[in-house]
Amino acid sequence: MVLVYYKIKKQLLLTQTLLRLPKLKRGVQMKRFRLLLKLILGYAIFLTVVPPYAYAYLDPGTGSYFLQLLIGGLLGALFSIKMFWKNIKNFLGSLFKTKKVNK
Amino acid sequence: MKNGKVPSSFRDPAGFLFKEDGLIYRQINQPYQEDYEHLMKSGLYRALIDEELLVPHDEVEKDRAKSDKAYKIIKPQLIPFISYPYEWCFSQLKDAALLTLTIQKKALKFGMSLKDCSAYNVQFHNGKPIFIDTLSFQRYRSGTPWVAYRQFCQHFLAPLALKSLRDTRLNQLLKIYIDGPPLDLASSLLPFRSRLKFSLLSHIHLHAKSQERFANKPVKPRRAKMSRVALLGLIDNLEGAIKKMKWHPKKTEWGDYYQATNYDSHALGHKKELVEDFLEMITPRPRSVWDLGANTGLFSRIASKKGMRTLSLDIDPVSVEKNYLECCEKREPNILPLLFDLTNPSPSIGWENKERMSLLERGPADTALALALLHHLAISNNVPFSMLAPFFSKICNWLIIEYIPKSDSQVKRLLATREDIFTDYKKESFESEFGKFFDFHAQVDILNSSRTLYLMEKKPR
Repeated sequence: MVLVYYKIKKQLLLTQTLLRLPKLKRGVQMKRFRLLLKLILGYAIFLTVVPPYAYAYLDPGTGSYFLQLLIGGLLGALFSIKMFWKNIKNFLGSLFKTKKVNK
Repeated sequence: MKNGKVPSSFRDPAGFLFKEDGLIYRQINQPYQEDYEHLMKSGLYRALIDEELLVPHDEVEKDRAKSDKAYKIIKPQLIPFISYPYEWCFSQLKDAALLTLTIQKKALKFGMSLKDCSAYNVQFHNGKPIFIDTLSFQRYRSGTPWVAYRQFCQHFLAPLALKSLRDTRLNQLLKIYIDGPPLDLASSLLPFRSRLKFSLLSHIHLHAKSQERFANKPVKPRRAKMSRVALLGLIDNLEGAIKKMKWHPKKTEWGDYYQATNYDSHALGHKKELVEDFLEMITPRPRSVWDLGANTGLFSRIASKKGMRTLSLDIDPVSVEKNYLECCEKREPNILPLLFDLTNPSPSIGWENKERMSLLERGPADTALALALLHHLAISNNVPFSMLAPFFSKICNWLIIEYIPKSDSQVKRLLATREDIFTDYKKESFESEFGKFFDFHAQVDILNSSRTLYLMEKKPR
């Protein structure tokens, strides 16, 4: 979303600078007009090609985003270990169970 | 129930709720089509319905559409009474939080994720919490962090931590902050020992610091990647933190009311019989009953056991907690305990003061029970009978009310430390004021006591 915003802002700034230039000769004016048209067209294509950011409705908050990334690695690792132990326990549990049944 | 768009349903462009002829419908807008189809076809919807985690719905004809953006119209099952997180006790908020995380874990298994985590998306129905927002699911895109993480911390984790570690009354912050208490506020209110728990240290204290550090700084989503395992780890950690949270209620005035007051067993038994008889006398048979000042729900259960949908409202958090835990233990489907201060009931709040309904907007009930309540409103809160009668006529069609005279030990207790300025607190003035709004169907003196129980019906206007 932010990236899109910056790209649009860049283009808008360029358009504004072009419009503010002093009056020039007719040929140059046409060139400027074509460039403007290209920019508008480019902007339109850009909007259609780049899908709208999926999480537009709720603001996740930058701080919340970065904190997730920061602690996510650690919590993910802990979760993996937890699952690993759970699997071992389940495996041992099932061995024990089968033994019991065999007896 | 007024026809038209539901005022609380406007934030999510994926769709909105509207009411028509007493039924509720949800319009799904075109941009949400693919997510909705994924929800229905991936098996997630079926899995959630089978486990009674999500409110079921039927797809109906599209001609009810309210705008040309409509992709589909669905009719979700109606929840008879909408309650809000600031009206829930500790365990209700905890159960709602755990339900939300269970749903998120299940959604991830089916390639979806919750795009919001509002506590208002959970309601209590048939004695259990249930998720009511069918449009909260979006397809999970690998590498993306959880967009609703901040909201989950604000709506659930912070209020629960505050209730559990600081003071249970702090859930009232949810009434002031409609999107949950800000994390920096929660962080400053929590005791130091909360920093010793890794989950609270990270999800609340560091989270608040991180928000402060990155305030108004843009995220570059392409650079920000979070693996699926990291996301599952985050959810698992939140779930573990919430499961560990406990609230040990301190003794309150009301927690052991029935034991402490040493109610005469004959009087109590007779009162129970009378309430039961009065409820049977009401025609048509009440579908909804509000027990006002219900304590732990002794009398609410007389109504709920008859299959009447009963709200058990009380001001005391300990009583509501005990009541809710009993409901869970006995799996009672018809009773919903809620925290309410009748002298200052929940107002309508949010956008245009319409997003969350006041108590009065959610009524009237078919029948209200006001047992051992009148003296608290009239004497402790100084409300004259002339103002009590119209209030009751607004919230119910039938009223079972107990009159407690000044000679009663409980009234004497209220007057022990103050001057008796209540010259109008007499049976005659009670009857004349309530007689202006109600027709009396029965009045019986309760055995072994000086109290009288009345059955009244609201006068037609």
